[in-house]
Amino acid sequence: MAEEIKADKVVDARGSFCPGPLMELIKAYKEAKAGDVISVYSTDNGTKTDAPAWIKKSGNELIKIIDRNGYVEIVMKKVR
Amino acid sequence: MLAAKKVVILGDGAAGTIMANKLRMLTHSSETRIVVIGNSKKHYFKPDGVHIPFKLKRYQNSVKPTRFLFNYGVEYIFDEATGIDVSQRTVRLKSGNSTSYDYLIIATGDRFDYNEIPGYIGEARHFYDLQHSLELANILDSFNGGKIVIGPSSIPYQCPPAPYEFTFLLDKYLRDRGIRDKTEIHYTFPLNRVFTMENVANFVNRLFDERGIITHTLFNVESINGLNKTVTSIEGEDVKYDLLIMVPPHKGQKMITDSELAGPSGYIDVDRHKLSYKDYDDVFAIGDATNLPISKAGATAHFESEYLANRIAHEISGNVYDETYNGEVACTTITGAGKAMTLYFSYDRPPRAEFQSKMDYLLKWTSADTYFSGMLRGIM
Repeated sequence: MAEEIKADKVVDARGSFCPGPLMELIKAYKEAKAGDVISVYSTDNGTKTDAPAWIKKSGNELIKIIDRNGYVEIVMKKVR
Repeated sequence: MLAAKKVVILGDGAAGTIMANKLRMLTHSSETRIVVIGNSKKHYFKPDGVHIPFKLKRYQNSVKPTRFLFNYGVEYIFDEATGIDVSQRTVRLKSGNSTSYDYLIIATGDRFDYNEIPGYIGEARHFYDLQHSLELANILDSFNGGKIVIGPSSIPYQCPPAPYEFTFLLDKYLRDRGIRDKTEIHYTFPLNRVFTMENVANFVNRLFDERGIITHTLFNVESINGLNKTVTSIEGEDVKYDLLIMVPPHKGQKMITDSELAGPSGYIDVDRHKLSYKDYDDVFAIGDATNLPISKAGATAHFESEYLANRIAHEISGNVYDETYNGEVACTTITGAGKAMTLYFSYDRPPRAEFQSKMDYLLKWTSADTYFSGMLRGIM
């Protein structure tokens, strides 16, 4: 059984449209401390590409992308 | 005879004024009393802010006295809302008075939060209000070459196309002055493209390439260092500049947060099809004050007002209004010297960014006249 990663902060951006989920993720990132795990839920298709691109460019760690029932969950770790 | 319903509209900007004037045209004063509360002495047509720094338009034609912009039968109170109690249907005012309502429409817009970015004040310039547009005109006058960095510092911000419109006009201005070859133009944007909507971003990006405009995407501004002339993004990128033109961070009004109608962002969560707040059928928000996933622009407020004025007019006269607001917006955006493109879109339908024309530019060029004489008056 895969180990569940516990997020320090969950951003539920379901129902919000691009660029809402990414902006919510960035807001949570600004408030988090290094080492925190942040999870964002989104029903917007664009988040699946936008959020990983942002995580990569910002030098943080993309932990996983999970397709849930009707939404996607993106889990990242704040590195810097 | 039943007493007239009292509709209170907070805000005297584009959203509040269009809403009041449209509703006045749709209802009789015997059944509806319309009260607008605002504290702007002048009403500024903000889209002209991209022209004024290049002295393409006289700012005097972009400004009118607010109190003359309301149709006959709209009551205008020069005051400011300091608190809203939706359970008691009352609004507290700065003057110490308070007012009750049958319907409340919040059109209080948003504000600039300069303190969100350390180093912004005194170093970055912008064109999002008249004073800063005029200041930028003087700065551009004395600019003789170097590196100009332009972009929105974060999302959301008013009139999403304005930064790229300004950039196209800047490119033309520098060419006309013969200093384009001595100037680098860098365009920053918070997403991984140069605009929020993908097909418009592709269109604009192609035009940027043709003009030698350098882009930096996924660039959300974190800080500005005026000593070494560097703007730094949250993503860790540093960009040097000689002149920094940066759209300031936006927030909803503090009064909205203090009234517990929104979180720290100050943007009100409304039903995207009814524009109503939570379960209240007598409280609505329109324009820049909402957190709807559409442009913060007068064009949005115009379409929202069309829906909401009709809905309230039907309700007051005892009729059913079956229509909904579906995120419709139409706006004309500048895409180069003498060229513009008109975008139509809604929640579910992205705009078609296919062609630019001189005719669209003329539409844009004359939009202040159209705005003050027709749109703002509620007759369009």
